[in-house]
Amino acid sequence: MLDAIAAEALKFRRHRATWGLVWIWPIGLVVIWLLAIGVELANGEAEVAAAPTAAGWIASATGFWNVPGHPLGRYLIGAFVAVVFAGEYAWNTWKLIVPHRARATLIAAKYAVALGLLACGFALGAAAFNALGWLEDVATGDPIPAGITAAALLKAHGLAALAASAPLVLTTAYVSLAAILTRSTVGALVIGLVVTTAEQLFRSFAPMLELYAPSLVGGLYRVLPGYHLGNLGSWLTEGRVLEIPFPSGVFSMSAAASLGIVAAWIAILIGLTFRSFRRQDIN
Amino acid sequence: MDMNAPPPVLELTDLGKTYGRRGGRVQAVRGVSLRVDAGEVYGFLGPNGAGKSTTIRMLIGLIAPTAGSVRLFGKDLAADASVLRRVGSLVDGGAFYPFLSGRRNLEVLAKTHGGGGGRIDALLEQVGLAKDARRKVKAYSTGMRQRLGVAAALLGDPDVVILDEPVNGLDVAGIQEMRRLIRGLADDHNKTVFLSSHLLSEVQQVCDRVAIIHKGEVVRESTVAGLLEQEATGLRVEASPIDAAEAALRGNWPVERQGDALSIAATKAEAPRVARRLVNAGVDLFALTPVQRNLEEVFLAITQDEAPADA
Repeated sequence: MLDAIAAEALKFRRHRATWGLVWIWPIGLVVIWLLAIGVELANGEAEVAAAPTAAGWIASATGFWNVPGHPLGRYLIGAFVAVVFAGEYAWNTWKLIVPHRARATLIAAKYAVALGLLACGFALGAAAFNALGWLEDVATGDPIPAGITAAALLKAHGLAALAASAPLVLTTAYVSLAAILTRSTVGALVIGLVVTTAEQLFRSFAPMLELYAPSLVGGLYRVLPGYHLGNLGSWLTEGRVLEIPFPSGVFSMSAAASLGIVAAWIAILIGLTFRSFRRQDIN
Repeated sequence: MDMNAPPPVLELTDLGKTYGRRGGRVQAVRGVSLRVDAGEVYGFLGPNGAGKSTTIRMLIGLIAPTAGSVRLFGKDLAADASVLRRVGSLVDGGAFYPFLSGRRNLEVLAKTHGGGGGRIDALLEQVGLAKDARRKVKAYSTGMRQRLGVAAALLGDPDVVILDEPVNGLDVAGIQEMRRLIRGLADDHNKTVFLSSHLLSEVQQVCDRVAIIHKGEVVRESTVAGLLEQEATGLRVEASPIDAAEAALRGNWPVERQGDALSIAATKAEAPRVARRLVNAGVDLFALTPVQRNLEEVFLAITQDEAPADA
């Protein structure tokens, strides 16, 4: 298995898609920050902001972890996963490697490398975001509140990273299944984009739609992963479950239930990916 | 049957593949049975769309058969795919990761195999790609990809090598080199080679045995020499006076005048009878030779004459 992962990493470590969709986060952040801070210092118009609380400063410093759950972040995650899984069809290379390894091992290696590289990219992005925020405060003279400890900062990063992992893995699961079924990078990308957008839209508009089909909308809201991703994030980073006002009353579920439902979606989608590839003819 | 004899390297039994369901069913391969023994170079011939590539893909686990079985080294492939570790293959002219160099592609493959890359440099040297090993594959010519494909097929030091159209895209020198390489695998390294090719002259020169597949079915299987002999078209007679020779033979065999010679529709086994009849008729016999077609003519005759019924 480790050999298969090493082979997969060798392919994608320096691939253009990895530069454009994974390493873009830390690199892009540094570039944007340098531009912004340069403009701010050159104009000399930096305003000294009111001193935030330590908790507020930490929450702001770990804000980058919201990206994997944001629609744009999920589109870019989907694009990378589409290349990792469907690229083999585009390059016609499954027939090069399939005879030499169990198909399940090849798919498992793809998950390990895709998720591993994305996790590295986001972790580096979050570290850069945190460090650059601190540097900006130092450079512009903004006050840094007292009481910020390394332990508190690490704990906040850990919880935010956990919250970000749910949309990251779910998006990976959507797109990997689409890639195996469509055998197309573009097909996988489009399906991932449509499913992610539909999930987000339903989460936002379900309270309005409940007026027209209360039982259907209520049932879907309960089983589809949109609410549960938000609920897990809220519970991990803010310590409370999400309460969504519906015309019929407030909708809320426990974090454990949300974790179970998201885990079930991920398990089903990834299981279907393994099963589909195991039975697939590679022409 | 010798129970102690080693199993054939490759054995196909009633192998079949059907695509689609109900009204749209297409039988790409049906009832293919053959066996390949250790150290053989086995040719698999057929016109485009005959089922060669589908069969080869079933041999290496890319496509699941809908009927029959593939046994490699005595083990059923469907039950134990790990036996494919003893197989090297080149399919579709060497499809590689275009953004990686030739060498890096082999490194990826070596890691996928689970083995080291110790043989990579020697193999690149063997296929003549040592100088271009660090160039990206997208800059390779078709022939270079083909040679890299052969290196990839040999990477795990396999016992059997399956090559789908291995000389496609090679120039004349490359074809000769490939021919030497394939023969050398069997003769010098005791490897078994199963190859498909549309270049029949190559098959004739390289293979020990051949199977001809047409419309999804194997229509002939034989040694190359045996096939040519089976498919001999008649005897050529050079005799004088030619009119007397024609008169002596006509009535027993269909005779056709070809310039100063006769062509008669008789088998090689009938040659002594032909000779006696000519001598008894007082004709001077100068030459009596079987007329053999080359493999290309045999192949065309078989695939045109023996077309199985459409599925």
